[in-house]
Amino acid sequence: MKEKRSSMKRKRLIGNIFSYILLILISLIWLFPFVGLVLNSFRSYKPGVEYGGMVDYLVPKTFSLDSYRFLFSGENNYVQWYLNTIIIAIFTAVLQTMIVLCVSYALSRMRFKGRTLLMRFWLILGMFPGFLTMICLYFLLKQMGLTQAGAIPGLILVYVASSGMGYYVCKGYFDTIPKALDEAARIDGASRARVFLTMTIPMSKPIIIYTALVAFMAPWCDYVFASYIAFGHDSSYNVAVAMQRWVWTGDYQGYFTRFCAGGVLVAIPITILFMLLQNYYVEGVTGGAVKG
Amino acid sequence: MKKRLLSVLLAGAMAVSMLTGCGGKKGGEIKIWVADNVVDFTKTQAEQFLASSDDYKGWTVLVEAVGEGDAAGNMITDVTAGADIYGFAQDQIARLVSAGALVEVEASNAAKVQSANAAGVVNAAKVGDKLYAYPMTADNGYFLYYDKSVVKDPSTLEGIIADCEAAGKNFYMDLGGWYATAFFFGTGCTLTYDTDNDGNFTACNIDYDSDKGLAALKALVQMASSPSFVQGSSAGDAVNYGAIVDGTWDAGTIKEVLGDNYACAKLPTFTVDGQTYQMSGFNGCKLLGVKPQEDADKLAVCDALADYLTSESVQLARYEAVGWGPSNIAAQNSDAVKADPALSALAEQFAYTIPQGNYPGDYWTLAESLRDSIVGGEYKGADDATLKAALASFQSSCQSYAK
Amino acid sequence: MEKTDVKKKKGPVRDFFCTLGADLREIGTTWSEGDGKTKLSFLFFGIGPIMRGRRLLGVTFLVVEAALIAFIAGFGWQYFSKLGTLGTVETNASSRVTTYGDNSFLILLFGLLTLCAFFALIFIWRLNVRENRREELLLKAGKHLPSSKSDFESLFDSNFDKTLLALPVIGIFVFTVLPIIFMICVAFTNYDANHQAPSKLFTWVGFENFANLFSFGTDGFGSTFATVLIWTLVWAFFATFLCYFLGIAVAMLINKKGIRFKKFWRTILVMTIAVPQFVSLLYVAKLFAADGLINGTLLRLGWIKEALPFWTDPMWARITIIVVNIWIGIPYLMLIATGLLMNIPEDLYESARIDGASPWQMFRSITLPYMLFVTGPFLLTQFTGNLNNFNVIYLLNQGNPKSMGLVGGAGGTDLLVTWLYKMTINDTNYRMAAVIGIMVFIVTAVTSLVVYNFLPSVKDEEGFQ
Repeated sequence: MKEKRSSMKRKRLIGNIFSYILLILISLIWLFPFVGLVLNSFRSYKPGVEYGGMVDYLVPKTFSLDSYRFLFSGENNYVQWYLNTIIIAIFTAVLQTMIVLCVSYALSRMRFKGRTLLMRFWLILGMFPGFLTMICLYFLLKQMGLTQAGAIPGLILVYVASSGMGYYVCKGYFDTIPKALDEAARIDGASRARVFLTMTIPMSKPIIIYTALVAFMAPWCDYVFASYIAFGHDSSYNVAVAMQRWVWTGDYQGYFTRFCAGGVLVAIPITILFMLLQNYYVEGVTGGAVKG
Repeated sequence: MKKRLLSVLLAGAMAVSMLTGCGGKKGGEIKIWVADNVVDFTKTQAEQFLASSDDYKGWTVLVEAVGEGDAAGNMITDVTAGADIYGFAQDQIARLVSAGALVEVEASNAAKVQSANAAGVVNAAKVGDKLYAYPMTADNGYFLYYDKSVVKDPSTLEGIIADCEAAGKNFYMDLGGWYATAFFFGTGCTLTYDTDNDGNFTACNIDYDSDKGLAALKALVQMASSPSFVQGSSAGDAVNYGAIVDGTWDAGTIKEVLGDNYACAKLPTFTVDGQTYQMSGFNGCKLLGVKPQEDADKLAVCDALADYLTSESVQLARYEAVGWGPSNIAAQNSDAVKADPALSALAEQFAYTIPQGNYPGDYWTLAESLRDSIVGGEYKGADDATLKAALASFQSSCQSYAK
Repeated sequence: MEKTDVKKKKGPVRDFFCTLGADLREIGTTWSEGDGKTKLSFLFFGIGPIMRGRRLLGVTFLVVEAALIAFIAGFGWQYFSKLGTLGTVETNASSRVTTYGDNSFLILLFGLLTLCAFFALIFIWRLNVRENRREELLLKAGKHLPSSKSDFESLFDSNFDKTLLALPVIGIFVFTVLPIIFMICVAFTNYDANHQAPSKLFTWVGFENFANLFSFGTDGFGSTFATVLIWTLVWAFFATFLCYFLGIAVAMLINKKGIRFKKFWRTILVMTIAVPQFVSLLYVAKLFAADGLINGTLLRLGWIKEALPFWTDPMWARITIIVVNIWIGIPYLMLIATGLLMNIPEDLYESARIDGASPWQMFRSITLPYMLFVTGPFLLTQFTGNLNNFNVIYLLNQGNPKSMGLVGGAGGTDLLVTWLYKMTINDTNYRMAAVIGIMVFIVTAVTSLVVYNFLPSVKDEEGFQ
């Protein structure tokens, strides 16, 4: 008996050691690109110090902050691009969350004519690829003066306008709040709007944070649409549009380390925000996954 | 009711235009797109020019960094939102003309352009027999940069590759539509397109589907099979190179990397089936174009400004500021330009190249397909028949773009 | 997802005509039985309600009518009238100063918008007629009409849905529905690089573009379309299921008894979600380049003689992309799986253990069925999402390598969407892009429909409860 237990113990120990090795390996693989990014960002691009393009070694020969200094040197609009992206992200997050909450509440709690029709119609709309309509959206926005110089409000408008279709996760959450609560309040004379504002919303903190977080993160990655709306107007680019040129365009030779530095500065605040709100994100994603 | 609303709106618009201080009818903003590294240069020059005469009072410039690669695409997406004056590589000209993004060069300027630039350059700015753009540089060609300590003899391709292999260094060359012609034209093939005055392609003159084409393709496949070979001609992305085929625009970057071992030469020769050919290729230029305008005053200012920005003195100043080789013959003959090692290697190479004409956008895409097929190893060890079939399909596709 | 009402599904066409007939009959009775106010409302919307004291409602009708008519007459008609030809006046560039002619693009766009305005007008008119009828019937029955105040208040109570949905529905209409209708129309025109507004006109060409897509000649899109479509489906399959199973595996690994610092391991993985993809993927793309860090290191170690063709060989590129996608996908799946695994009742495992089941058996007969059951619909959305996964492909290698065997600039790793994007951006070949877009829709819709009907959670409602 004793022997059996000890052999099981040993088996478990070996299993655990194996698992740890695996986990450490996984962690290394997952972290490697970020470590690489950070190390590259500390390589100087200045002639005579080091070289700013691609190199075949990882650790810079001399650590320097030149690439970061470049971003704030005024030689480019990095600060402007960064601010643009923050403005877009904040407005999108706030407005999109409001719209999603409204739509979700209406679809979850109210029963009106054409409700299922509307939901099915939106589901079908979602199956069209977004890029298809890029050129059309561009000219629509242009009519309103919201391209190039006005690209920032234009982008916010586009991101927010269609966000109503992304109600699934939030509606799923509302569905889990017992309807009896609503009914009780309504018997006491509260209007729908009152119930929505004073009961449902305060109870939905996790889903609100999740929606806002996802909406906040999306504009940082948008290269395709943002570049299409803002082309030729440097000061209304977002970071993705502006910085991809440093990697893809031949006009910018040896900008790789500066791209890395810019990327690190973008990644830091988002990562911190994400880490702080991680639990809400998990809750939203899991809830959404199960609900479909 | 509607009329009144209209008049109120009109009055408002007038008030706004008066407040912005255009002072009468004339004036406005001229948008210019150039590559990032000449933005400041162009801005200074353009402002100087506008300040030089009272005729241009009220006009301001806005210079934006839109590279030559993106400019054409953006102009075509939306001409009305595009720049009034913009720089682009000559291969885009037919596309731009057919999309209505270029206006013919004004007659008196056209005469000046034609006398101040070499015939090849002027041809590059023409579509059909109309001159549509102002030549800005004539350095759009490629040659060999190499590391003196690695490559002993830069005159043969085989030697360069062997040296690179021995030293464990890379040899870089792009095999896209622009660079691959170094081989095809080298063996004596031709590929040109005829255009009418509206930028439509009317005929394709090509003989890639021949023994000459076969020799070139064989050489390409052979080169791509070397472990040292890396596809690409962009020094900023290249690492650990012993030699790289690239243009003058990367001279600074390469000089920085190679340091004392920096050297330039014309392109090498290559040998297929015992026969030796000199690598050829395109010589081309960067052009400055003016967008069609609805306002005659603005057009006049744009014409004058574009003419000035491509004049001898500005081309020289641009060479000094960023090292772009001038297209103006007088500027080319200045001592500073003649002493530049990269530009002189380019000039040497230009003896073997043909002036780049107009090519449809589909050609470049098609050539990228050929490039990826070669680099991806699709033709490794392929027999002549397979290669011939590929060339035949390439040729028929090229011909299909001209209607 | 809502369950469909089985009864309603029968004969949707007949259903539609029944409703239409009933509607027309009702309009007829409204007119014949209606009083002067109602009859006046047929022309001037909302006059009836205004005269009956429901000013708010009536004025709203009137204002909407006026606005729509003003829009159509003052702005839309000039475009709408040319919708049939998409413009005939050519741009004049014979003198150096250009005079632009008709802009086919704007004619199509605003023509469609005007068409929608017509429909809206009819719809509002119908609502207005119905409202009149309702009021008359109420009055006839001796009941009171609601006051403007209570009308207004109802917007926050019984009609709160209208308040909530008004903005989102309008937004979706203008920025999603209208553009989609527009692009569907473009698929039937010759709008491409040679017919570019405003300098050139484009016009209707019928099914020419669709014929081109399915033509299998040397220049036809047929075989390229087939290649891209197959890769799109293969990619979506691997991207979905590899990430799914590996994500579950990693989640189980971290959840394993005796593993410490669970939160730490999870956090490391989750970081990849937080870092914007345009940063991380562009860097990863460079890592795998022929002269990138990975090849460079392997070469220096002497493990390989030649650089591995990660991005240049089509097959290698496909595999590399799938592998990199695992790197992206595992963290999401790990998060989801972690939450779900905890929901599996522990006693299920306990009793299995007593029966002497091995871990693998337990996984196969408890964990996996549970996960598949619960995440069925999620897998479906993942799959359709991957069909359109633009970022991963485009940021990694732009759909390259191209090949002589593919037309239209398509590459070995191009999905339908990236191909569509390249056609729009590089070649301004909008006509074919629109056709491809419609195909993407069809593929997505068909897959969803087929898979949805096979889902265990749909087939077997009771399942795991």
